[in-house]
Amino acid sequence: MKKIILSFVISTGILGLILLVPSCTQSPVSDAPNRALIISGQNNHNWQGSTPVLKQILENSGLFSVDVAQTPATGKDMSTFKPDFSKYQVVVLDYNGDSWPEVTKKAFEAYVSGGGGVVIYHAADNAFADWKEYNKMIGLGGWGDRSEKDGPYIRWRDGGFVRDTFPGRAGSHGPQHAFRVTIRDTAHPITKGLPAIWMHSQDELYSELRGPAENLTVLATAFADTANKGTGQHEPMLMTINYGKGRVFHTALGHAMGDAPYPAMECVGFIVTLQRGAEWAATGAVTQAVPEVFPTFNVESKWPLFRPLTLAEILSNLKDYKPGDTRYNLQDLTNYIRQNYDVGEKYATIEKNLLQFLEGTGSADAKNYICKELSVYGTDKALPVLKKLQKNEETAEMARYAIERITGVYTN
Amino acid sequence: MSQPKIINRRSFFGKMAGIAGAAIALPYIIPGTALGKDGATVPSDRIVMGVIGAGSMGTGDMHEFMGKKEVQMVASCDVDKAHRDQAKTAMDTKYGNTDARIHSDFREFLAKEKVDAVILALPDQWHGIIAVACANAKLDIYGQKPLARTIWEGKKIIEAVEKNKVIWQTGSWQRSEAHFHRACELVINGRIGKVTHVEVGLPDGGPTNKPYPVQPVPEGLDWDMWLGPAPKELYRGVCHWDWRWILAYSGGQLTDWAGHHIDIAHWGLGLDRTGPIEIEGKGVYPREGIFDVPVEYRIHAKYATGVEMVYANARQVPHGMGVCWYGDKGWIHVDRGNRLFASDPKILDEKISDNEIRLYQSLDHAQNLLDCIRTRKETITPCQVAHRSISAALLGEIAMLTGRKLNWNPDTQEFVGDPIASRMLRRPFRSPWKLEGN
Repeated sequence: MKKIILSFVISTGILGLILLVPSCTQSPVSDAPNRALIISGQNNHNWQGSTPVLKQILENSGLFSVDVAQTPATGKDMSTFKPDFSKYQVVVLDYNGDSWPEVTKKAFEAYVSGGGGVVIYHAADNAFADWKEYNKMIGLGGWGDRSEKDGPYIRWRDGGFVRDTFPGRAGSHGPQHAFRVTIRDTAHPITKGLPAIWMHSQDELYSELRGPAENLTVLATAFADTANKGTGQHEPMLMTINYGKGRVFHTALGHAMGDAPYPAMECVGFIVTLQRGAEWAATGAVTQAVPEVFPTFNVESKWPLFRPLTLAEILSNLKDYKPGDTRYNLQDLTNYIRQNYDVGEKYATIEKNLLQFLEGTGSADAKNYICKELSVYGTDKALPVLKKLQKNEETAEMARYAIERITGVYTN
Repeated sequence: MSQPKIINRRSFFGKMAGIAGAAIALPYIIPGTALGKDGATVPSDRIVMGVIGAGSMGTGDMHEFMGKKEVQMVASCDVDKAHRDQAKTAMDTKYGNTDARIHSDFREFLAKEKVDAVILALPDQWHGIIAVACANAKLDIYGQKPLARTIWEGKKIIEAVEKNKVIWQTGSWQRSEAHFHRACELVINGRIGKVTHVEVGLPDGGPTNKPYPVQPVPEGLDWDMWLGPAPKELYRGVCHWDWRWILAYSGGQLTDWAGHHIDIAHWGLGLDRTGPIEIEGKGVYPREGIFDVPVEYRIHAKYATGVEMVYANARQVPHGMGVCWYGDKGWIHVDRGNRLFASDPKILDEKISDNEIRLYQSLDHAQNLLDCIRTRKETITPCQVAHRSISAALLGEIAMLTGRKLNWNPDTQEFVGDPIASRMLRRPFRSPWKLEGN
């Protein structure tokens, strides 16, 4: 696990360097059907950390080739920042900073109202408190001296949403924690098929957002428990907004500050809703399946590489496994075998890799876990390696366990 | 099974005679109750019992049976000295003597004790081996649910019980509660019409996860013996009670409670000696720590009659804990705490006449076993039925672990065309453990 996280940090670092040059970085030509533009460059969060992650997440869906447009740094001349929105099916805002030039704002309004897609990510809903049309696009926003003058809170009351015009601040959150997200619109393409309530990994629970909330659909909320210094309200987390012909997906999730890892962004729930939200914003439909490992009511689920791991990565993570370590790596392996089991070539390759692992330097506990998997899925081809493992005291029992189940010949 | 057997009340006077023989040095006073005073059962009619596995369930069961005047509890067996000593103290306190005997190994218990019946309250990995050994020793058995950790072991227990003609009662005591019996009689006699589906709610939740570092085995605990046929593990302070959160020893709440609510669901359907034909399931397994039983589970099973059953942790079924049968004329929901509800309360006032199906009635679970030990009749919860209750859960467990839809033949008790799932019907035992006669 550590190794892989490390390799990710390095790649983040490299991308961070590229991003330090104000520019619009273009992706190499890709087969992906849609083009996405991430706007980044200023934020009260670590955009150097989050932007490469967002890029990876979108690219990992296979649906997007992603460019990044980076604004000049805070306080610098913004007049040259004029990305061409029209080339993109979706524009993703990882931006919370200086105002854009008027011409860029107008171009963005025209892009969205003309049918462009937008994803508002986390602190992007803090941005541009004074830009009226932007606030219509995001539906709800926080901080930046927003207050009742900017619009109501959207509150969950008696099984429905109401506009609450009560005076008060806009934007707050308690200490970061893992919290449950509750789907409020199970029919929307973005949320269809997701677990009704699922455990999101440690994040800021954005609360008390307020804004014009026109043409706004709240797809999901999270309860801000007063026990975690929350508001005691069900706060909107995932939203869609129709702006002219444009579609906006707004996720309040995904806090990233300081160095990786960013648990809120590793959460499979965050990743999948972002991918689905971006697809919906770009095309009006969602074609992506919900992965089996989506978080559930009690159990978080994270993808440290923002995608499912390869077998080689899984086995590398398992290398030093001992009881008491995270079970993620074990489950990754089990799920991988399960999903790829075909009584054919695909499984034969998996088994070859497992047997290689058994002959390698991994921990006895890791080998024993693999023996248990082989006891279910293994073929006769596994027997010679298993017989070798029988000679080692630490693995002898589980090797026999596997051999007996594979051959159907039980000694005890 | 119903053929009466003459019970040889073999132990009581025999042992007393031995003690009396030694009484030259040690005066032995026979208490009045031992002679049948004050309504006590005379020794020759008493059922002599012991307990193997004297933890929380075993102790509870021991007290339950010890509360019956016709029972004489004489010995305990546990791999933990604290448990077996505690049980001895309870027996000695009850009988006002120091006669209760203790054993650390069930084989020694079986070799030395001349009891009529035994209480088995063990972690699941031990159920098969010890139940078969007790049946082969011709002991009548009160066995805690679930019957066994694997379907293969359950079948072996039934074989041994039938071969040795011993009486078996499972700890599925809900069958001996009037309102569960009533619910089942209403359902089986069509008071909610033809039943289309059933929802079974089993407990949510599980243990609190925390680090369990390897630590010295507490004095008095034979850890290797506790593990028995399960894979070898270092001791981490997880043993009594908490074994139920580890797949090597238990299937979690699902298998812990199958012998209660799935058992009741089957009873009301008249399907308690068969099983599903199709099983699908989704389990959520913990991501951290050493516990690995599902924290959420939902299984969908279909029976040959067409009835469909969902068994899941309570949060995932509309009525929560208990059993809810849905028929074309209404529903009935039953749960512990005398909870019995119906779509129309009038259903609950319906009379069941004598020419309708009358289900086995027992209003005292322990007494039912004692009566059956005398009459040699089948108890209200025989092992054949317990096997089907836990099989439904174990099939669900396999469906969750393999992530596939399973086709099952409840007559041959084999999967249809699924060699992968078939391997999970049996677990190799750790050496040198073996199921007797296998």
